[in-house]
Amino acid sequence: MGHSFMVAAYCFTWGIQLGYLAWMAVKWQAQKAKLGGQR
Amino acid sequence: MKKLLFAVIAIGVMALMAWGFYQAMYVAPDDAAQGPAGRIFYYHVPHGMLCYLFFSINFVASVLVLVWRRSNPARALAADAWALSGAQVGVVFCTVVLITGPIWARPVWGIWWTWDARLTTTLVLWLIYVSYLLVRSFAAGSEMQTLAAVLAVFGALDMPINYLANRLWRTQHPSPVFGGDPDAGLKDPRMLHAFGWNVLAWGLWGLLLLAIRILLERRQQRIDGSEGDAALAAD
Repeated sequence: MGHSFMVAAYCFTWGIQLGYLAWMAVKWQAQKAKLGGQR
Repeated sequence: MKKLLFAVIAIGVMALMAWGFYQAMYVAPDDAAQGPAGRIFYYHVPHGMLCYLFFSINFVASVLVLVWRRSNPARALAADAWALSGAQVGVVFCTVVLITGPIWARPVWGIWWTWDARLTTTLVLWLIYVSYLLVRSFAAGSEMQTLAAVLAVFGALDMPINYLANRLWRTQHPSPVFGGDPDAGLKDPRMLHAFGWNVLAWGLWGLLLLAIRILLERRQQRIDGSEGDAALAAD
């Protein structure tokens, strides 16, 4: 039983951290498109 | 060249995280009392320590925003990017703490949550910085930056209270692993190594996220500045 809780905790940690990184990548792309439009 | 350097650093950090994961999963022994759930410690505690680091960056940068807001607006704007990034990365780390904590507590304590001093002040800390980010997203301009900086300076008061909570009061939360009871701490050196590697790996990962977030915010400030200039020129 403890094993499934450990797996859940590790999955949540990686999910949150990689999700934040992905959000920044999307924001980066949006900025790039905006900067391209301004030129 | 900059892209290559960034890629090398990112690959190095990812390799270190994989090493930390290996140490926590396969090298460190099971905790005798907690079983496999005890391994949550190797992610939960470093995240708790590191959210203090990022909230402290937010605090220092917010003080600098208040100091420089009239004398040097350009520097204040740069400090504001650091403050926002520190708070955001800190909230990400604090969210991990608030999720992994109850997942550990359920098999070990038999309950998901209890309103003890350490847990409650952690939730309050998270709420303070979420409200800081909300203030920033619902308002704009230099007034918003000043307001957010004041909120951050007062919000940082919860950090020492949170840190001292399980030292000053009797809590359900375990006593400090380091710097607390002399009988406490990690006895097995393999546990200590796994913990140390994960602190280092998640620390560097967090600093990488912080650097990316600061770059993003500085670029956003340039975009907002050029849009403002264009609007003035159109008038």
